[in-house]
Amino acid sequence: MGEKLLLFPIHHSLFTHNRIPMNDRPDAAELLEIARRTLLDEILPRLPEDLRYRALMIANAIAIASREHAAGDDGAQAELARLRALFSEQPKPVAGAALHAALAGYNRRLATEIRTGRFDDKERAALLGHLEKTAVDKLAIANPKSL
Amino acid sequence: MIDLNAADTRARIEAFLREAAGADAVRITRLERMSGGAVQENWALDADIEGGMHAGARQWVLRTDAAARVEASLKRSEEFQVLQFAHAAGLHAPQPLWLCSDMTVTGREFFIMRRLPGVASGHRVTREAALIPDRARLARELAENLARLHAIKPPQPKLGFLKTMLARDNVAHYRSYLDQLPGPHPALEWGLRWCEVNAPHDEETTFIHRDYRTGNYLVHDGGLAGVLDWEFVAFGNPLEDVGWIFAKCWRFAGKQLPVGGIAKADEFLGPYQRASGRTVSAQALVYWQVMAHVRWAIIALQQAQRHLSGVEPSLELALTGRIVAELEHEILALTRSNGKWAMGNG
Repeated sequence: MGEKLLLFPIHHSLFTHNRIPMNDRPDAAELLEIARRTLLDEILPRLPEDLRYRALMIANAIAIASREHAAGDDGAQAELARLRALFSEQPKPVAGAALHAALAGYNRRLATEIRTGRFDDKERAALLGHLEKTAVDKLAIANPKSL
Repeated sequence: MIDLNAADTRARIEAFLREAAGADAVRITRLERMSGGAVQENWALDADIEGGMHAGARQWVLRTDAAARVEASLKRSEEFQVLQFAHAAGLHAPQPLWLCSDMTVTGREFFIMRRLPGVASGHRVTREAALIPDRARLARELAENLARLHAIKPPQPKLGFLKTMLARDNVAHYRSYLDQLPGPHPALEWGLRWCEVNAPHDEETTFIHRDYRTGNYLVHDGGLAGVLDWEFVAFGNPLEDVGWIFAKCWRFAGKQLPVGGIAKADEFLGPYQRASGRTVSAQALVYWQVMAHVRWAIIALQQAQRHLSGVEPSLELALTGRIVAELEHEILALTRSNGKWAMGNG
């Protein structure tokens, strides 16, 4: 009985984390962070000049991946909510692959309607507000220093 | 990336050079890939030449296609003709020497040009103050050279293969490129729509470089020593080149200096306007900066696609895909603060 109680939280976590088993610490974020610090602090100073740029690119790629991992689906959820509002549709919760499929669908429609002029006039401010927030969220992951 | 240093390839290049230079013997002493040039590959080529009019130790560049082409760039044979034309016109182009269209030599078309002295790296030019003791002088030399380039009008019999690309042609081309890329890009669609509605009514048509920016010119002894990368030249609106060199995406470490991260606006615009007789309006400058960011964003997407498709796995190309957000952000900033929807510009 005691064993079953102990197991229950593990099964629960398997279910809610898309069947990814609970891993040992350090977790993904912690591994990325120490990998990046080792590269910058211990390897970079000993690299010849012609390899330094590539090492800095690797560090940058790790930093982007870390921020993307930390942000999770928050940006995508917010983007979907704004897109639905832009098209006067009701909010509806979706996650995972369905979230990205929904985003792709709305963005295709948005791209087409921008091109054909729907947002030239009175819906322009709403469009720009949405695009600005989307760009800022993407930039916060890709290059927060530029914000 | 092809390996030009494979022994048999290197021997074939030496044989080609011996024939082209009318030499008795050619020995390549150095052949290595130069940094920059994601679209084309530039290889520093040093050679000892015996006999003929090029005898001696020579420093050249071998320029050839990278694995995949981006946007609509010229073929090497066309770029070779452009360099001949631009060098003769005194536009600071490197002197082209020989074109090799024989695919049995390296597997790709290439040409040899003289190597000019100086530093091109945008990161260094905008960071190392010692390279440019007098920024106004470099800005003036860049501006006057660009004005000379823009004094060349079509038709030019030697450049019959060049396209004419005015504002609306650019919009149509970039839309067709977007349509070939996977996934929708609403912010870029917005930039293109803005460029379509705000397109100038009357445009002048001249020879234009279309990649005249920091990173693509050589600085030597504090002055302009060369203009590189002539693969995008066309006939078009000269103000496109002015917007390009001003665009925020080409300022590298010099974000506060609008002219390519190296000079203040007037230090370039003053000499350009005097030398060209043209007026660059504030609206035109904004317009062509929006177009510049749209264009660079689409090239960045294409470069990322070269990586994603597996054609050319590369960390640099992969990371280029992630600069698009910054370009979109700038497009939105420029089109928002310049909100006169039908501003019209000349």
